[in-house]
Amino acid sequence: MFDLFLFIGLPYAAMMSLVAGSIVRYKSNAFSYSSLSTQFLENRWLAWASLPFHFGMFVILSGHLLAFAFPNLWSILVSAPAFLMVVETLGMMAAGLCLVALMILLVRRFVDVKLQAVTSHLDVVVLLILLFQVSSGLGVAINHRWGASWAPGALGPYLHGIFLLNPDVSYLKDMPPLIKLHIVLAWVLILFFPFTRLVHALSLPFLYFTRAPQKVVWTSSPSHVRFEKTVAMDTERRLFLKASLGTGVAVALLSLGALDKFFRYFLKQDLTNAEEAHILSQKLQRLKQSAEERELELERMNKDMIFVAALSSLSQTKGKYFIDYQMRPALAFRDQDGFPIVLSAKCTHLGCTVGQDVDGQGRVLCPCHISYFDIKTGEPSLGSPAKDPLPHLGWALKDEQGSLLLSQDSDGRREGSADSARLERSLLFIVKRFS
Amino acid sequence: MSERKSKLWRTIKFFSERIPLHKMSFESMVSKKEVPVHHMSWAYYMGGLTLLFFSIQMITGIFLLFYYQPTVSDAHASVEYITFFVKSGFLVRNLHTWSSSCMILCLMIHMITAFAMKSFARPRELTWISGSLLLILTFSFGFTGYLLPWHQIAVNATKVVLQSIEEAGRYLPGALSTLPTYIKEIIQGEASVGQATLSRFYALHVVVLPLLFFGALGLHLLSVQLHGMSQGIDKLAKKSEKFFPFFILKDFWLWGLVFLVVFILSLCLPFESFYSYPLFEAYDALGSTPDGIKPEWYFYFLYYPLEILPFWVVMLGMGISSIGLFMVPWIFKNTSRKVLSIIAWIIAAYLIIMTFFGQLIYEIFKGSHS
Repeated sequence: MFDLFLFIGLPYAAMMSLVAGSIVRYKSNAFSYSSLSTQFLENRWLAWASLPFHFGMFVILSGHLLAFAFPNLWSILVSAPAFLMVVETLGMMAAGLCLVALMILLVRRFVDVKLQAVTSHLDVVVLLILLFQVSSGLGVAINHRWGASWAPGALGPYLHGIFLLNPDVSYLKDMPPLIKLHIVLAWVLILFFPFTRLVHALSLPFLYFTRAPQKVVWTSSPSHVRFEKTVAMDTERRLFLKASLGTGVAVALLSLGALDKFFRYFLKQDLTNAEEAHILSQKLQRLKQSAEERELELERMNKDMIFVAALSSLSQTKGKYFIDYQMRPALAFRDQDGFPIVLSAKCTHLGCTVGQDVDGQGRVLCPCHISYFDIKTGEPSLGSPAKDPLPHLGWALKDEQGSLLLSQDSDGRREGSADSARLERSLLFIVKRFS
Repeated sequence: MSERKSKLWRTIKFFSERIPLHKMSFESMVSKKEVPVHHMSWAYYMGGLTLLFFSIQMITGIFLLFYYQPTVSDAHASVEYITFFVKSGFLVRNLHTWSSSCMILCLMIHMITAFAMKSFARPRELTWISGSLLLILTFSFGFTGYLLPWHQIAVNATKVVLQSIEEAGRYLPGALSTLPTYIKEIIQGEASVGQATLSRFYALHVVVLPLLFFGALGLHLLSVQLHGMSQGIDKLAKKSEKFFPFFILKDFWLWGLVFLVVFILSLCLPFESFYSYPLFEAYDALGSTPDGIKPEWYFYFLYYPLEILPFWVVMLGMGISSIGLFMVPWIFKNTSRKVLSIIAWIIAAYLIIMTFFGQLIYEIFKGSHS
């Protein structure tokens, strides 16, 4: 029952508060939509806390958002061990940054008199919740390793349920308390969001990215500005030198890293015996395959008939692939009447090779653009991108002694005859003069 | 006689305006060159990025040549050898695939922004034309390079594309109707995609196209440097920054950053992990075509319409738009940048929709099979 409150009641309350609270606050007091910066009051510690905190938070939030918004893409990504490693490391580093920064921020609020004057209770509460939240997150990351990999699958459905108005807490039933705490605190943060300084996250200065740079000018001209003018020429040169030096060092470091990898590319490979054997056997297999293809080609130039299969080995439901006289793929089936069906397997649409499996309606499928062909007539079914039928090939049946029993040309004219017993033992050939 | 002279004179004048050799000095190309600063300034970096990716392609491509073997029996094995056994081989190969996609992406953004900023306007017509040539050459790089690993998806996708050239014959009258087949066989080198095709694509990919590319790139870069940056917005920009040292330094920073990102990406994530493995098995001439044969993502804008619409509609559209591409400087001579950017958005929206939702649209029209 309490779970229902924490994981269903609280989230909806939090989201209501987020939406309604933010709007009401903006409408009633738009100017309060800020973090009420204390930079003018205390600058030194802030630099060491605010920047790391925001960097870290950005990384952590993007990670959470990506993982829960695109669980499929994310699971592909994290299935690469290197990526998972990088994500987890980055996340932990970011959490560490946030943790240290939050502590500095808290201490700063307590030790500086000027700050205490402007600090509200909520400011402290927000800092504390954030501190607990980041600590619990880090705790989860350390105690229940590889959260980037398991969390989208284990917690994603619960979150999606919340957003699809179909919440299901059963996913959370067996979760360790630390994880539950992390989730509850997240909702609490959202609940508090519109009433605290956190709202400044909603006022993003997007225009900064595209507008032309502006120079902030003092209304009175302070001494340092006048000084600036006199040394402008000098700094321009110095800026260039410094920048080139910096760029040079960066390029050098980058090249060092890249060249270290690239240099090895040209070294001799030290392979184990097994690896070399594997490579060699694979190579031989491929060469054999090529040789076989060449042999097939030569055979088709020289011979008047090419052996396909024993008729009895052919099936009604699964075709046998072979290569026709034009070196194109073809399929052989056995019809219900016991005679063979031999037709080209090159799709008449864009030339893919059609599949060998016959479906319930006696058709084979070309997977490229979904054309179905009737194997008896070769005709494509209505709506297929292919418009022309798969052509039938001429064939001949011989008995074991090699004497011709029966033949059929590509138009279906049959010559000769055979009883069923001899048919059963006969061998199927394709014939040059029919092609 | 006088008319002839004036024609010649006009031709000379045309070219001397487009290639102002008198500006070929250190002063105007480096020390006095300025880059306007305004809300579209970021687009000035896209060409440079494309150049960066081309350089990566060139270097990693040469590296790959050290191990790749262009024969039907060895191609796939040699690519596997590079990936699994050569030290850092996977890195070089991943860099080559990632950077090819990045190059095409940057090139498309570069072209669309250049269009929206009217950077093709007189006297920069030749810059645009050489750029369009580079676009076509880059797509040809993509198409020929796709075949080289000789895996299932490569060979089958190439087969489908080449076969659709032949399809054009149905719409041509009389003797012309065999022309596409003739063209297809010239590209293919034999009756079906095989060793001859591989050799041809290899030669094109590593020798012919690079040579053509260098020519077009030289013209492109020269004319960019001679004319300077175009103003980019309708009103003259209030500010500008010096090309040297400021712009070029920023350019280098961006290059460094982007290279770092692509480098890390190539270390961690093979481009092929977005597909299912059976597509990367060695091509099997005797088996059936596997499911999911597709061209690379940057051909989706052409591939899905080809699947959905009647062939001749797509061919007609293609023909018109490729002629239009080269005629842009003259067609949009008097168009304001506002209208141009609307057109650019439409083109961009089309490309994005077809690339991301092409499969969905295809299934809506044709129904899915499973």
